[in-house]
Amino acid sequence: MKANRLCSFVLAGVILAAGMTGCSGSGASSSGASVNSSSGDSSAATEADKSPVTLNIAWWGSQTRNTYTQKLLDMYHQKYPNISFTGTPSGYDSYEQKLSTQAAGNELPDIMQMDYTFISEFTKNGSLADLSSYVSDKTIDLSNADQSLVDSGKINGKLSAIVIAETAPTVAYNPDVLKDAGVAEPTDGWTWDDLLNDCIAIHKKTQGFGFGTTIPSNSVDWIFNYYLRQYGKSLYDSEGKTLGYSDDKYFIDFINQFKKMQDEKAEPTVDEYTQINARGKEQSLVVQGKAGFMFEWANYPTIVTSANPNLKLVTMPNNSKTIKAMYLKPSMFFSISNNSKHKKESAEFINWFLNDIEANKVINAERGVPISSTIRDEMKTSLTAQNKAEFKYIDEVSKNSSQVSPPDPAGSAEIRTKLNDEFDAVLYGKKTEKQAAADFRKESDEVLSRNS
Amino acid sequence: MKSLTKKAFQSKRSKDNATGYVLIAPWLIGFFLMFLIPMVISLYLSFTNYTMLNVPKWIGLKNYSRMLTDKDFWQSLKVTFSYTFILVPLRLAFALAVAMILNTKHKGLGVYRAVYYIPSIIGGSIAVSIIWKEIFGNNGVLMSLLGAFGVHQKVSVLGNPHTAIWAIISLGVWQFGSSMLIFLAALKQIPATYYEAAKIDGAGPFCIFRKITLPMITPVIFFNLVLQLINGFKVFTEGYIITDGGPMNSTLFYVLNLYRRAFTYFDMGYSCALAWILILIMGIFTAILFKTQDSWVYYEKK
Repeated sequence: MKANRLCSFVLAGVILAAGMTGCSGSGASSSGASVNSSSGDSSAATEADKSPVTLNIAWWGSQTRNTYTQKLLDMYHQKYPNISFTGTPSGYDSYEQKLSTQAAGNELPDIMQMDYTFISEFTKNGSLADLSSYVSDKTIDLSNADQSLVDSGKINGKLSAIVIAETAPTVAYNPDVLKDAGVAEPTDGWTWDDLLNDCIAIHKKTQGFGFGTTIPSNSVDWIFNYYLRQYGKSLYDSEGKTLGYSDDKYFIDFINQFKKMQDEKAEPTVDEYTQINARGKEQSLVVQGKAGFMFEWANYPTIVTSANPNLKLVTMPNNSKTIKAMYLKPSMFFSISNNSKHKKESAEFINWFLNDIEANKVINAERGVPISSTIRDEMKTSLTAQNKAEFKYIDEVSKNSSQVSPPDPAGSAEIRTKLNDEFDAVLYGKKTEKQAAADFRKESDEVLSRNS
Repeated sequence: MKSLTKKAFQSKRSKDNATGYVLIAPWLIGFFLMFLIPMVISLYLSFTNYTMLNVPKWIGLKNYSRMLTDKDFWQSLKVTFSYTFILVPLRLAFALAVAMILNTKHKGLGVYRAVYYIPSIIGGSIAVSIIWKEIFGNNGVLMSLLGAFGVHQKVSVLGNPHTAIWAIISLGVWQFGSSMLIFLAALKQIPATYYEAAKIDGAGPFCIFRKITLPMITPVIFFNLVLQLINGFKVFTEGYIITDGGPMNSTLFYVLNLYRRAFTYFDMGYSCALAWILILIMGIFTAILFKTQDSWVYYEKK
């Protein structure tokens, strides 16, 4: 009897031990290793330089970006052999959700790529470290960067995000498609009617699509916001407590254009677009030569250059002759987690990323135009034609733009979905434009008041 | 066997109990850490305004009262109920029919059993959902096949708010294999003497089915019903991958809405409330089934 009991205890112990190791092993690999499980060295300056450090870094992007970013991490590791990385790339769609789940568990990576839309939320809850001290002691050297751009990473007096690159909204187009359709390439100062007519003309001539996406999409809110900027309005008011426009005719006019395009078959239906969109940026209609125009960011041609190197950029159409609706936008930021045990090493990596010419040659402006003027000048000799066009575009926009709209308020994710749903309802013919506009206003007011 | 005094018996029993607890300790620890404690925390959070990024603040029943006027909540209930109450009868009917066909003594039936069972193992996976999307989606397999026969759909099955849910229901029905195996086992339990007696009395096949087969397998029907009903309410992966809420929210399943609320809108407190309401609903249906089983489930009493 005693031997039996001893056996069962030993068995239970073995099973427990196996279970524990199994748990921690899979946990580490699936969540990219929490900061606490990496080396527990104190961050005394001299020791940190020599002892091995593993930094967790997360970013979003396409396969191209993932490949060259991994190359960058290897380059840095070769330069500083004591620093190694655990990189966790992902797509953009679930990136914010992934970060917020990690924030709730106090498991944020040391270095995180951040977007303008969500830095304020993460700053307000204390997830991000204040990097002003690293900037003032030149660990991160921002002396060659445009100050207003750097300030866009300052939330509530805290410099919680370092801008990596700048970009601007654009209409990206495929010049070959336009040529086949006999449509002249658009120029600065064109209007929304010009865009509409061009798209319809392309469809009539080539049986392809004029416009390469549908309007309900992940980016509909910034496009609608741009449309409102032309009239001196914006999607959200300055305090983020209500919508920034009071006349529903803007909503109605905006969606009517795309309804017309859809009726004329100049843009894909929601059904067709959903299927295409699931296949990745390189499969988009404009890239594949099956459509002419799409709304995008200035670094889009560089992102898809492996699939089609000929895409071109033009400013967004503008119905106003006086208001400068275009704007420069920080394309993305790097932030350091407040819980990181290796803040100094992380800051040094960010500095290298921004200011090292070899690194930037690898990056090749894929994340946007580098913020350091020195880097921009040094790169001019090695730029591809695509990059030159992107840099030139940003230069031109910077001379003809106004201040970027403030970051989206809390609740914007839900409002974006509601906006999509209302536009969907109009395109499917389930609601009139007027009804959809009124419903959208009611729904967003409710969301914004709940979140303030 | 030694006879024990009362005291020795009790101490032996508690020693046996201790051994038992030690052996199931791994599962018990998992149960507490991964299940019971998170459940209690989620109940607490459902009364707060937690967004995953703030300190939860108590707001009482506000989350629950918000549901009453939330359009998405009612839509998700409608979608989930229609999905479940169409899928479960269809799936069980298929399972029973195929089980009856396989309940014979032909050679090679083992192969068919395995083939029908495989979808239920792999069906809930993301890979199969992506395949389903390519089949029923725009320019997918179905559209091209129909096109080859001259039938040109304007909108794919997945793009039409009226038909998108049927694509997902079909995925659920395709996975009938697990229910079928259970029915098969139950069918084999029915004593052959009943069938012989019925044949001697001259009963036709439908009569035999209604009067002998069906009553004898009611316990298994009950079991499958409860299981499939609960699984039906929990549908998520298919909805998320194939249509992500579908054209005009026509496939916005309850758990999909819950997930979106929690992780896209950062409305975690409200999501916890939604989760507890789902438990309540599943509990009510299960209780109804259990209460009525006396009237229709036949358990052989020995």
